[in-house]
Amino acid sequence: MVASQPSRNVRTAVPWVTTVARLVLGGVLIAAGWLKIGNPSDSVVAVKAYQLLPDSLATTVGYGLPILEIVVGVLLVVGLMTRVAGVIGALLMFAFVFGIAWAWAHGLRIDCGCFGGGGQLGAGQQPAYLLDILRDFGLVVLGAWTVRFAPGHFALDSALGLAGGERVYRQDDHGPGVHGQEEMG
Amino acid sequence: MGKGERVMSKGERAKSAREKIRAQQAAERAREQRKRVVTYMTVGVVAVAAVGLGAWYAASKSQAEQAGDTAPTTVQSDGSVVMAKSGVAKPVIDIYEDFQCPACKQMEEVSGSTFRNLAAEGLAKVVYHPITIFSTEPTKSNSVRAGAAARCMTDGKQWLAFHDLLYKNQPSETVEGFKADQLVTWAKAAGATAPGIDTCITSQKNAQAQLDYSAKVNKEQKLQGTPTVKLNGTAMDNNVVFTPKDLRDAVTKAAK
Repeated sequence: MVASQPSRNVRTAVPWVTTVARLVLGGVLIAAGWLKIGNPSDSVVAVKAYQLLPDSLATTVGYGLPILEIVVGVLLVVGLMTRVAGVIGALLMFAFVFGIAWAWAHGLRIDCGCFGGGGQLGAGQQPAYLLDILRDFGLVVLGAWTVRFAPGHFALDSALGLAGGERVYRQDDHGPGVHGQEEMG
Repeated sequence: MGKGERVMSKGERAKSAREKIRAQQAAERAREQRKRVVTYMTVGVVAVAAVGLGAWYAASKSQAEQAGDTAPTTVQSDGSVVMAKSGVAKPVIDIYEDFQCPACKQMEEVSGSTFRNLAAEGLAKVVYHPITIFSTEPTKSNSVRAGAAARCMTDGKQWLAFHDLLYKNQPSETVEGFKADQLVTWAKAAGATAPGIDTCITSQKNAQAQLDYSAKVNKEQKLQGTPTVKLNGTAMDNNVVFTPKDLRDAVTKAAK
């Protein structure tokens, strides 16, 4: 019983951590998309500046990315289709990590365009690649957590009965012994 | 099975009751499963539709105008280029751009035709200021070569054609581009007839003028970067500049 105490705490904490992860990742995605959506042409420039995609594809991505970020962000915040949204969110962030690392490795001097703007940096401006990568990598981890421990508290998925994992939590909450004993065993 | 009759029928009753419950539970589960699938599909379809519509809207908002006529264009002695119908003196649209800057290329692709149409319709006087904003290599030299070459174009119409060719052939910012022989080729393609255009471009005799003009404009106009578009001296929001419809509205309003 003593040994199962911390694991019970962990189990109560997990859904809350998921909720926080969802809100953070979703919030960042919404902010990033929102700041870019007013100026789609700029967003196209930002994507092209990475010199990673052929021009036609970069144009499509430039137009589509901001709205995709917002939609996925909203889904994460309200906890709807949490797993799917988490996977897309994490993949997006992973793609950003890759893109920034690419720009860095190729010696491009660009603003990541993560929150609008983007493109070439002016004189005297220094790119903050490492910071961008660390931030985005942290968000990848949050996304992965959300997928693994979906959907967390305050999720529409649970309200609509869409959450497959929810039932497991409930059973665990009622009878924490089963799992705990196995672990002790 | 080998028990008495009473026991068996009791067992069978219990069994059939259990089966009934089980069947009910299965039906319940199937119903829930269907509901889940329907909800999931609905949300998924709505989300995908939202992304598609949003992207389509963003793309259509950034649709460039059809290019129409071009207003009379004259190259000024300081290297700036005025495009206006005769008698149109305001509102003034000042375009500060760098031939090497990707955002400027994007602006020309999206809103270049709108600037021209506005001038042709007599709704504005458009002034191009080709400057060099870059301070590092290879972009700085690329920009200076292109800017100096543009200064060799003395005819407005030819200058505009050359201007368009430069953006169309803009090199990547990581390589040396806008090479002298390329510039000569494009100048010829733009219809350059001025005598000595070849030497004017290859000798780069206007390079210093390009640098001086850039420094002067940069200081006077306090530019944050390129492209900068000013309407009657006030910098316009790039969100407006990059949205042809909004750009036209803003200029039309200023023309009243």
